[in-house]
Amino acid sequence: MMGRRMLQTVASVALLSAVSISPSLAHEQSGVGGGLASGLLHPLTGLDHLIAMVAVGIWGAQLGGVAIWVLPVVFPLVMALGAVVGILKIGLPVPELVIALSALILGLAVALRIRVPFAAAAAIVAVFAIFHGHAHGAELPSSANPLAYGCGFVVATGLLHACGITLGALARWPGGERIIQGVGAAIAALGGYFLVTSLGMTA
Amino acid sequence: MNPRLRTALLTALLLFAQSKIADAHIVSARLGDFYAGALHPLLTLQDVIMWAALGLLAGSLGAASGRWLILVFPLGLCSGLALATLSNLPAVSPLIDAVTILVLGLLLATALRIPMTLLCIMAFALGVMRGAVNAGELMPQTDRLLYAAGLASAGYVVITLIMALALSFRRPEAAPVSSWRGIAVRAVGGWVAAIGLMMAGLSLAS
Repeated sequence: MMGRRMLQTVASVALLSAVSISPSLAHEQSGVGGGLASGLLHPLTGLDHLIAMVAVGIWGAQLGGVAIWVLPVVFPLVMALGAVVGILKIGLPVPELVIALSALILGLAVALRIRVPFAAAAAIVAVFAIFHGHAHGAELPSSANPLAYGCGFVVATGLLHACGITLGALARWPGGERIIQGVGAAIAALGGYFLVTSLGMTA
Repeated sequence: MNPRLRTALLTALLLFAQSKIADAHIVSARLGDFYAGALHPLLTLQDVIMWAALGLLAGSLGAASGRWLILVFPLGLCSGLALATLSNLPAVSPLIDAVTILVLGLLLATALRIPMTLLCIMAFALGVMRGAVNAGELMPQTDRLLYAAGLASAGYVVITLIMALALSFRRPEAAPVSSWRGIAVRAVGGWVAAIGLMMAGLSLAS
């Protein structure tokens, strides 16, 4: 029964992906494949973005409770707000610095298991989400297909969160909490490195 | 060798030997208009996103209200197509597309319990809208009936399959709100809404 249901799900997913892949062959919309690929890769190729998104997921899982489900649902929306700011070409102050700082702070929060009230955590994450969205959104209008680019970058970011939340689930096993803190420390160290380089560039 | 297997292999070989390049210019033949109608929405990203979001929304609400869409949505598509061919409708602005995606995403993300009648009205309205947009592909020589049949079939297949997928995946009624299946469906709603929000920003900026 279980196997059959799983088979059904897999078949449906395969069909769905086949249906959603077809736009890359589209002649009506040229550049869908290119736009999708650049959108998917944009959050993955910037290491500072990548580690911050994973850290958001881990921290959400660590905080538990409401955070674990509010985060994946609301974060993309807040990030899209930031992207709209980027699309409208409204500049944000020192974006590189804040993005590096976000990796440092979120990494530290995970490493030190900092527990703050949910509202405070949400506010911190929301500010960073706007900066991250701004960085991706600024490139959206110039991409081969803006809609495909938007889809790609939202999906990539969501999947990075899912990676973080899955890592956070390690806490259920003995020793898992230590591994998570180690990952957090590594993220914080990388964030610190990016912070120093961006300071060096701005100074 | 098993005689039956041998026969099957021989038949296959024979068929292979006879096969020529699949030169069936079915797209330019009369039946091609059916495929044109069926493929056009599937090759348009706006249609794919909106149809998928509607299917997920209906599926996550349960089979009782969702099953009406199997009939209502293709009917809406045909009505939109008919409306657009009979009267010259102005092109839908990208902002309306974006806002529709945003609203569908928000409804999915908030997991609101939408009454069956409202869901049917929404599906019909969306069908009319997308049917009218898909009429843009119609040429003077296109067979309208075949094109409409293709479009309606595509709508029926996509909406039914995605609703079935969402139904089999959704959070069981007894499970708590924080169960991961429920969160996953709502997170996809968040993604769809984010895409709609960005597109709205883009259409306002340009």
